[in-house]
Amino acid sequence: MKINQLLITVFVGAQFAVAAFAADDTATNSTEAVEIETLKQEVQKLSQKVSDLENQHQTAQQTAVGADNGQITDLDQKVRILERQRELDQEATASAAKSTPKIVLGPNGFGFSSADSNFVATLHGLIQLDSRTFPADGGIKGNDGFLLRRARPIFTGTVFHDFDFNFTPDFGGSSVQIQDAFLNYRLFSELQLEGGKFKSPVGLEQLQSDAVTSFNERSIANDLMPNRDLGVELHGDLFSGALSYAFGIFDGSPDYNGTTTNADYDDNKAIAGRIFAQPFKNSEISPLKGLGFGVGGSWEVDRAATNTLSGLTPGYTTDGQQKFFSYASGVFANGPHWRLSPQAYYYWGPVGLLAEYVISEQRVTKGTASRDLQNTAWEVSAGWILTGEDASYNGFTPKHPFDFRKNQWGAWQLVARYATLDVDKAAFPTFASLSTSASAAHAWSFGVNWYLNKNVRVNTSFSHTQFDDGKSGAVTKQPENALFTRLQLAF
Amino acid sequence: MKTYLKILLVLALTISANAREVKLLNVSYDPTRELYQEYNAAFAKYWKTKTGDDVTINQSHGGSGKQAQSVISGLEADVVTLALSYDIDAISKQAKLLPSDWQKRLPDNSTPYTSTIVFLVRKGNPKGIKDWDDLVKPGVSIIVPNPKTSGGARWAYLAAYAYALEAFNHDDARARDFITRLYKNVPILDSGARGSTITFAQRGIGDVLLAWENEAHLAQKEFGADKFDIVTPPLSILAEPPVAVVDKIAKKHGTAEVAAAYLNYLYSDEGQEIAAKNFYRPRNQAVAGKYAANFTQLKLVTVDQEFGGWEKAQKTHFADGGVFDQIYAP
Repeated sequence: MKINQLLITVFVGAQFAVAAFAADDTATNSTEAVEIETLKQEVQKLSQKVSDLENQHQTAQQTAVGADNGQITDLDQKVRILERQRELDQEATASAAKSTPKIVLGPNGFGFSSADSNFVATLHGLIQLDSRTFPADGGIKGNDGFLLRRARPIFTGTVFHDFDFNFTPDFGGSSVQIQDAFLNYRLFSELQLEGGKFKSPVGLEQLQSDAVTSFNERSIANDLMPNRDLGVELHGDLFSGALSYAFGIFDGSPDYNGTTTNADYDDNKAIAGRIFAQPFKNSEISPLKGLGFGVGGSWEVDRAATNTLSGLTPGYTTDGQQKFFSYASGVFANGPHWRLSPQAYYYWGPVGLLAEYVISEQRVTKGTASRDLQNTAWEVSAGWILTGEDASYNGFTPKHPFDFRKNQWGAWQLVARYATLDVDKAAFPTFASLSTSASAAHAWSFGVNWYLNKNVRVNTSFSHTQFDDGKSGAVTKQPENALFTRLQLAF
Repeated sequence: MKTYLKILLVLALTISANAREVKLLNVSYDPTRELYQEYNAAFAKYWKTKTGDDVTINQSHGGSGKQAQSVISGLEADVVTLALSYDIDAISKQAKLLPSDWQKRLPDNSTPYTSTIVFLVRKGNPKGIKDWDDLVKPGVSIIVPNPKTSGGARWAYLAAYAYALEAFNHDDARARDFITRLYKNVPILDSGARGSTITFAQRGIGDVLLAWENEAHLAQKEFGADKFDIVTPPLSILAEPPVAVVDKIAKKHGTAEVAAAYLNYLYSDEGQEIAAKNFYRPRNQAVAGKYAANFTQLKLVTVDQEFGGWEKAQKTHFADGGVFDQIYAP
């Protein structure tokens, strides 16, 4: 403002000076010249002052701008530094992640893995606390009660991406056992080699996981199936799982080897295998996607006379795990033993059906008598999930885990089963006693399963088994009625 | 004539049929990417002509200390070309992959070229940085990598410390104060020399980059000589980045012969020319003379002279709890 005023003053002064010069015609030359000179000097001085003021103003402006620029530059540098530091931190984190092990804890267990995934291990668990009650059991003592049916820490894992392992001891029951201990090399999903102790590839219900079976105990048809065995097996899934196969060589397992051993009772080996197809698994035909069928079988030659074990089943047991048939003393396995089991299941929506038939023919000897005995069994079981989840051979997860605060009640399932086992009549009386062993058992069962969530389940079921013959047997002289409950934790 | 041609053809086919394909892994420090890209092509051509074999050299680059640790942890390097002998000594001592006297196996303590530390500044050098003491002035922002991971950073640190020792008549307390003030002006530490170049040249952070000489020239080449100036201080450190065959790995891979030849070729005329073209100071005096214009003359002090060798320098300054840990807090 001061400069503008000054400029106006100078301009006006100049105008005045010019006007004064022009108007005064009468001034003498010398006086005019002096005055003009004086005025010129004044104008010059004023011009100089204006120029100085302009320069000062400019300098002040530049200084202010310079200070602002300096601040902006500093701020800019600080922002760049922060951004770069963040980049470096991210790089360091990514680099550290490459060597940092990962830990996972969830409904599928507790797992940890090396950063490069070359070592992956998971701890699962299965705890089953059962109660069995046998109302009106004819005075059989000691079979009602609670029991720890299974208590298994399950260690699984994979090393170097292709080698899976499983180690499962069981602390339930009356003694500690190693249920599973195997290594599986996964060359491709279609071709895998498994070695160690694991379930023999024959029975459909037997191969189902212990945590997802419909009832507390598998059906009496499983009495003719091999349980876990030691051996080597080639297996795989073909056509995106539409066809699966398994063939192996094993030590050999008697019928219903409830208590598995870790050694062979003779020098011979058993061959076991199974093919199972789910032809519509990958199709768009929704009602048929859950249809599966196949056949399993085994063959071996038992020569149990070479050692103290008989090589035969310790006995066939009911749903209540009570023995209703056993071979007589002095009977042993002495020749070929083969099994054949056609099997199928069907799952569609909340409904599931499972069925299998099994023939187990074995040559037995007692003294000088030998006979091929062909025992048969079959079962059909059905389940219906009331809460709408989809049923599956491998179990299912409740859509609404139990939480009464949220009015969620988990999942509910009704289950039913019929099974029968027929002992070859030729077994009697030489190889088994008709008075103490039944020649057949027929069992029907029904139950309710409550799945509180993916990991916790409560079962309750009732089973009724009738026997042919065995009228003097403690178990077989009357039908067996068994009431089961189970509290299960699986992860 | 036709017979001779036939014989030659058969020989050529025989040689090509018997030609081996050899792979080498060269684990190197951060700023040598361009050097070895050019050198590897030259060596492959030389080796093919000499033996008929095809050799492919894979490169790994990173901070020298980090790279040494990677090899110790299992990275199967056939050769290592690192920033300082201490890092290769660590591989020898901790992983026993090569003998302790490895440095005697090649000329000039197994260092086919040398380098030094210079200053890369913004064009026009607005902060007027001419010497090491300009770096400790308030308002000067210095970019240098982390000496815990980068070999170049260790050379830079020792160069600054050496300047201070020379300037303050070997008063270690004053030298330490100097280095403390220098690192107070460091806002960010990259893990390697290349990272620091990115920070300075691409991200526009800092007033001066303490850089390998070759890295400074490369930055000018890549980003334009109109962006940066190189200031060579009157005194700096003689950096001697060594090379070595990792005996056990080369033996395991069956590459011992070609690995030794690969490093030997660095001393050849062609190898030395490639080094000089990439702004590494060649050992070959004739080549050095030819490329003298690339390299400013300055006083170069050594680690042995000023610090009693790398073993002592590492222990005193860069080990956990050493001087650097004491003076620098992020």
